[in-house]
Amino acid sequence: MSAVELAPGAEKNAFASMMATLIRQNLDDHPSRDKAIKAAKGRASIEVTDLGIDVTFVFDRERVVVYDGVRGIPDVRLRAPAEVVMATSNMEPGPFGLPDPRGETNRKVWEALREGRLEIVGALRSPLLFAALGRLLAVR
Amino acid sequence: MTLPFPSEAWAKAFADAINQNEAYRTHGKPWTFGDVAMIVYKEPAAGIPEEAGMVLDVHEGQCRGVQYVVGEGEAHAAFEIIAPYAVWKEVIEGRLDPIAAMMQGKLDLRKGHLPTMIRFVESSRALVKSAAAVPTQFPS
Repeated sequence: MSAVELAPGAEKNAFASMMATLIRQNLDDHPSRDKAIKAAKGRASIEVTDLGIDVTFVFDRERVVVYDGVRGIPDVRLRAPAEVVMATSNMEPGPFGLPDPRGETNRKVWEALREGRLEIVGALRSPLLFAALGRLLAVR
Repeated sequence: MTLPFPSEAWAKAFADAINQNEAYRTHGKPWTFGDVAMIVYKEPAAGIPEEAGMVLDVHEGQCRGVQYVVGEGEAHAAFEIIAPYAVWKEVIEGRLDPIAAMMQGKLDLRKGHLPTMIRFVESSRALVKSAAAVPTQFPS
């Protein structure tokens, strides 16, 4: 199984530690999600706009390292308030692994996207990286 | 009549408030993952001479019982959430979202499966809202 690491110094950012734990426990529960790490290379950041905390995930096809703050120039950026960030992990899957349009959480996420509270940059340019982030953080 | 927090009387009133909370009944219905403990760090200056915990036997949207325990490491549950008294006060008063508090490291999931906790984010919020319904006397 691929390694999930917390970068040196990142333990001071509780959100970074939380993300590393979430990925590790998700991989324990769903070993097939390891393929997402093997397919992804690049940097993805999550910026929690209302709390002023950011993390960067660096994927190199063998491991994912979680850093405190935005490191380098991320290929994929997700910016949203805490409530929306957590909702993106909680989206209800539908047929073919796509989000279920009837899902209550999914509707909240679409609404946040439409209202500009959720910004996603780079998903089309780096689809594998974006998909990996989604797979590894999804709790359903 | 106000009840001191944390205390056995407060814990019992909290359990009653949970059972009267319609939102918790709905969002907590699928919860079958074990007890949840809310633990307050020892803080003699705030009138809390020993670590205190409320272990909630929550199951399928109901609180079947509560146990108030005192002493370090005495609260045993599938999910153990620990924080300083001042943070619990903010959470109970509805001034701090429990999930945002966790992302900031103010509330610590000392034990438990993080993906499950995130999946039940609305249930956690409803649980905390029940606490706001308890007439509480916080130590000065």
